[in-house]
Amino acid sequence: MARVPGLLVTHADLADALVRAAERVYGPVEELERLSNEGLSRHALEDAIAERVGAWSNGGIVFIDFWGGSCFTCGMSAARGREVVVLTGINLPTLLDYLHNRDRFGVVELAERLRAKGQDSVRLQRAPGA
Amino acid sequence: MSWILHRIDDRLIHGQVLIAWGERLHPKRIWVVDDASAANPWERELLATSSTEIEVRVVTVLEAAAAYAEEAAAAGGAFLLVRDLATAQGLAASGAPVPAYNVGGLHYAPGKDKVHDYVYLDAGDRAAARWLLARGVALHVQDVPASRPLPLESLDASLGSVPGEASR
Repeated sequence: MARVPGLLVTHADLADALVRAAERVYGPVEELERLSNEGLSRHALEDAIAERVGAWSNGGIVFIDFWGGSCFTCGMSAARGREVVVLTGINLPTLLDYLHNRDRFGVVELAERLRAKGQDSVRLQRAPGA
Repeated sequence: MSWILHRIDDRLIHGQVLIAWGERLHPKRIWVVDDASAANPWERELLATSSTEIEVRVVTVLEAAAAYAEEAAAAGGAFLLVRDLATAQGLAASGAPVPAYNVGGLHYAPGKDKVHDYVYLDAGDRAAARWLLARGVALHVQDVPASRPLPLESLDASLGSVPGEASR
């Protein structure tokens, strides 16, 4: 199974921070591109994403911080016409699951798994006796 | 109520608009005034799906000018977004009496020079800004509500100053 490539596109330095946090848990992270929207126009950000995903011969996953932002609209535009899935709401559990499983699944199957993982990771729990 | 924010931003709908301004002003509708986007079904669909809570209308400059007064009298607040100063000029020239724009983001591109952290202008931008200012349309640089609004002409000497604006 070929590795599913990934690209993190976020506001400010969230992508770098997520990868640094992931490395504390997972170990050194390789082959994962990161991109900030900082200072980029819509067209510049879209071009930057398209340049990266255009190099993926068999598709991949673009991880976005939240639905509706410039990272989302540019990610969607860059993914258009390609075997690229856009996954919004990236968090640390999702990123860690991607790193552990990117060599085990195809693009769509992995993306569905990561969506479930991310949603399941957001929980509300009150401490007993509160 | 209707128009509660007019904004010039080359990213059109994005996080600052939906989260920062949206959570502050709670618009019912966002009008994206952009001829290119309005002519592109894919772009219209993409912008429309940007928010699950706010209705997004993607229209041409002429359509926006024609609908401006009716929307002004409509219930609920509305945002109007254009991607550049030239579109703002075109909208005014088409008859929409926009009193002021929030200049939220005009990012770097070749040929543009920096006048603020998130505002870069070229000769065409400056000509449009001067045209708008001369007709009394205020241009306030402000990315998010928590930032202090600054008159655009106070940041760029070539735009001069408009009485009553420079001291804001």
